[in-house]
Amino acid sequence: MSRDSNYDHHISIFSPQGRLYQMEYCFKAAQSGLTVVAVRGKDSSCVVTQKKVPDRLMEPSSVTHLFNINPKLGCCVTGTMADCKSFVTRARYEAGKWTFDNGYSCPASVLAKRMADLAQVNTQTASMRPLAVVATFLGVDDEAGPVIYKVDCAGHYLPFFATAAGPKEQEAMNFLEKRADALKDMDHNQVVRTAITCLGHVLGSDFRGSEIEVGEVVGKTGQFRTLSEDDIESHLNAIADDADA
Amino acid sequence: MGDSAYSFSLTTFSRTGKLLQIEYALNAVANGRTCLGICAVDGVVLATDKKLPSVLVDVKNVHKMEVVTPTSGVCYSGVGPDYRVLVKRARKSSQVYSRTYGQDEPVSQLVKSTAGVMQEYTQRGGVRPFGVSLLIAGLDCSSDAASSHVPALYQVDPSGAYFAWKATAIGKNYVSAKNFLEKRWTSDMELEDAIHTALLTLREGFEGEMTAHNIEVGIVRKGGKFEVLTPSQIQDYLDEAN
Repeated sequence: MSRDSNYDHHISIFSPQGRLYQMEYCFKAAQSGLTVVAVRGKDSSCVVTQKKVPDRLMEPSSVTHLFNINPKLGCCVTGTMADCKSFVTRARYEAGKWTFDNGYSCPASVLAKRMADLAQVNTQTASMRPLAVVATFLGVDDEAGPVIYKVDCAGHYLPFFATAAGPKEQEAMNFLEKRADALKDMDHNQVVRTAITCLGHVLGSDFRGSEIEVGEVVGKTGQFRTLSEDDIESHLNAIADDADA
Repeated sequence: MGDSAYSFSLTTFSRTGKLLQIEYALNAVANGRTCLGICAVDGVVLATDKKLPSVLVDVKNVHKMEVVTPTSGVCYSGVGPDYRVLVKRARKSSQVYSRTYGQDEPVSQLVKSTAGVMQEYTQRGGVRPFGVSLLIAGLDCSSDAASSHVPALYQVDPSGAYFAWKATAIGKNYVSAKNFLEKRWTSDMELEDAIHTALLTLREGFEGEMTAHNIEVGIVRKGGKFEVLTPSQIQDYLDEAN
C-alpha cells in the first residue's frame, strides 16, 4: 500500500516534491466556508463574517460562526462546521485548563499556539486527518493590547494587524494592506466599520443587519461580545452616511 | 501516540534501498526559506530570512530563531509547525539534563537528543518524518577547563543525521550560499566578521530588499548567552556593511 502511487494523497506523508497533499486538500475544504475579516485598532479587536441562514424555518440564532472561548477571548471559525465546533470545544477546554493551572485568563497568543500545535499533530500522524478549520482568535491582552491570531489547518499561526480567511481571503487582505498604516490609530467604531466595509467590498454587495455577524473586544477590561442586529444597523448607517458625505 | 491505528512504519525501504519519505522531506526543506550559520573562534552566528506573507502580519512578535538552553539556539528551514514540536522537545530535554547534572546542556548533547527524536519519526508506526532541517548553535564543554566553552554549529536533517559545520546554509539557494561561505570562511574569523559575512551571504540570494525587519540574526559569544538581535542591532550591522 505504500507502493500505491497515490498513497501520498490519502494520508499525511510527503510527496516526491516534498509537499503534503492531505494538507493542501484540507485547505481547500477550509477555504470553502464563509469569508471572515478581522481588524485590530488602538484598543479593540473585531471580527466580521457573513450570516447565511440556509432555510427560513431554521432558528437564526443557532447559525453562528462566532464563539466565545472565555469571557475575554473570542473566536471566529470558518470551514467545515462540524470540524469548527470540535475545534471550538477543544479551544474552550484548553483555555479553561490553562486558566485553572496558571491562575489568570489565558492570553490569545498562548491559546493560538496551543491550538496550532494540536493542528500540527494531525499533519504528522497518519491516523487522524487534519481539521478543516481556519480560526481567528481575538482579544485585548493586558500587556500587548489588542491582538488577532489566525490559526490554520497546517498548524501555522501568526499575529496580525488585520487579516481575512475563507474564499475571498486574498482580495480582503489586499484591501486591508492598503489601509495597514491607518489601522493602529482607529477607535473601536472605526475598526468595526473598516472590517464591514472590507467584507462588503470583496463580496460585492451591501448588507442588512441580519446578514452579517460582528464580534468585538474593546479595552483591556472588555469582554468578548457579539453585536446585536441594532448595533450592526447603526454601524451600517454610519458607513452609508460617510459614503454619502 | 500509542492509540495510532497505524502500527507499521510509513517510511519503508524502496527496492533500491532508499528511504524515499526522508528524501521527500529533504525536498520540503529545500523549498524552505534560507537559513545559515557561521562558527567563529569566539562565537557562532545564525541568520535567516524571515519574509512573511503580508504587511498585515505583526512581524515583531514572530520568531523563527528560538533559544533552547541559555547558551544555545536553533533555527530551521522547512515546515514551521514541525519545527515548533522539535523546539518544545529540545527545551524539555535540556531542562531534564539541567535538573540531572546541575549545568546547562552542552550543545553536542542537545543535538544528539534532538536528532534522536527526528530519527524516531522515520521509523515509528503511523508518523511521517519532520519536514525541517535545523541549525543549532551553541557552546560545547571542552575537556580543557581553562578554555571551557567551545563554539559549535550543527545541522540536523530529517533523517536524524547530524553534522558539525564550520559554516553552512540550508533551504532555498543553499548551494550558492554554501559556495559563498566556502570562499569567505577562515579559521581565525571572529564573531563580528562572521556576522557581517552572514548578512552578506543572506543578501546574495534574497528576493527583494533585505531590511532589519525581514531577517533574524542570533548570536552566542564564548562566555555569553544565546541572544536574538533586535532590529535596531541588525540595522547597525547593515549600516556598517553599506
